[in-house]
Amino acid sequence: MAAEEKANNGENQLPDFMYNWKLHGIVLVLTIIAELIGLHSFPVGPGTVLILPMLYALVIGIFLGPRFLKVASEKDMSDASPLITLSILILVAKLGTNVGPNIPIIIESGIPLLLQEFGNLGTLLLGMPVAILVGFKREAIGATFSQAREGSLAIIGDMYGLDGPEGRGVLGVYIFGTVLGAIYNGLMGGIVASLDIFHPYAVGMASGIGSASMMSAASGAAAAAIPEFSDEILSFAATSNLLTSATGLYVMIFISIPLAERYFKLLGGTDNSEEAEAGE
Amino acid sequence: MKASQALMVMVIVGVITLVGNFIFSDYVFDPITALPGMAILVVIAFAGWGISEALNRVLPPIVFCSLIGIILTSPWTPGADWILSHTTNVEFLATTTPVLAYAGISIGRDIDKFTAMGWRILVVGFVVLTGTFICSAAIAHVAMSLLGMG
Repeated sequence: MAAEEKANNGENQLPDFMYNWKLHGIVLVLTIIAELIGLHSFPVGPGTVLILPMLYALVIGIFLGPRFLKVASEKDMSDASPLITLSILILVAKLGTNVGPNIPIIIESGIPLLLQEFGNLGTLLLGMPVAILVGFKREAIGATFSQAREGSLAIIGDMYGLDGPEGRGVLGVYIFGTVLGAIYNGLMGGIVASLDIFHPYAVGMASGIGSASMMSAASGAAAAAIPEFSDEILSFAATSNLLTSATGLYVMIFISIPLAERYFKLLGGTDNSEEAEAGE
Repeated sequence: MKASQALMVMVIVGVITLVGNFIFSDYVFDPITALPGMAILVVIAFAGWGISEALNRVLPPIVFCSLIGIILTSPWTPGADWILSHTTNVEFLATTTPVLAYAGISIGRDIDKFTAMGWRILVVGFVVLTGTFICSAAIAHVAMSLLGMG
């Protein structure tokens, strides 16, 4: 694929990123390659390491630029940015249709289950200081405002753009969670359950954080650790997971993001002086 | 951005997703089978975008896309079953791949900044997952005790 750029003919009033057919072509090819490689999972200890097709699309995409594979031009790379926010809306629509049928379960789920949704704020509480400590700037906001699942990508993409510092943060944790989340949550679910600090139901509820693979790993391990409550643990986990996918988006937009911004300032986080310096 | 242009992008992404979905579903949901479901998702996405624009973006489009998706498929909505029978032909993971492809290409510009996060993102990732789990469990535990459950 030669880097033939369609010249932007001056008076063209349409934003030309939409009609960058080469870019859409690249994405189509990336999607096909990624899906052909397919989903792979490797059982490790109490969980599995999961490699999803989208990871290939992401990683290959990153290396398509002029410095490496030279498939995408500077223009393609900047045209891609506004397309993320539009394309992610389809993903969000799909998420919504997954939640709708389960609304009755969610309504009946009870107060403790609803309240523990705010446990997601713990992410921010503990994560932000650590992120700033290891030297993140505004990456810290994207990395710690949520447990970084697909909805979080949509929010950061929409409010900040996925190609900015906040986007790097959320994408980093997203990749981490996608690959290692199931195995880590599997470990944690088993350990926390066997420590007997929290009620088994509470451990079950905590297992549902909006990712099916992490939820299965954590609740499976917890159920194995406390077999006499295994049914309840598994069902609370599944319900909590549904609840997170339903309420998570709204909690993040209206609570987590504003809170993250204030907390970031409070802890003396520094803004990225873009273009001036790299990462560090 | 004009509405027709936003719709155009969503249709393009929809077509790409249909191809990916076909492969991801092990060639079960061919693009023709999945087309109505995909069309529904594109319409929801476009409607959500349109509402957000009409309201001067007081709320981001994702809020409306998600809400419309939930409302259309809730058990009290007439025709929800019909909508679901089609949208289930589009796999969720298949909708993520093109998005991440665009994201990857776009991030390519700042590849150094992305890789510079390196080990730090591992540390933060572990803390994020731990924080969520422990805090959720603690809140649920306290709430259950207060309500005399369990």
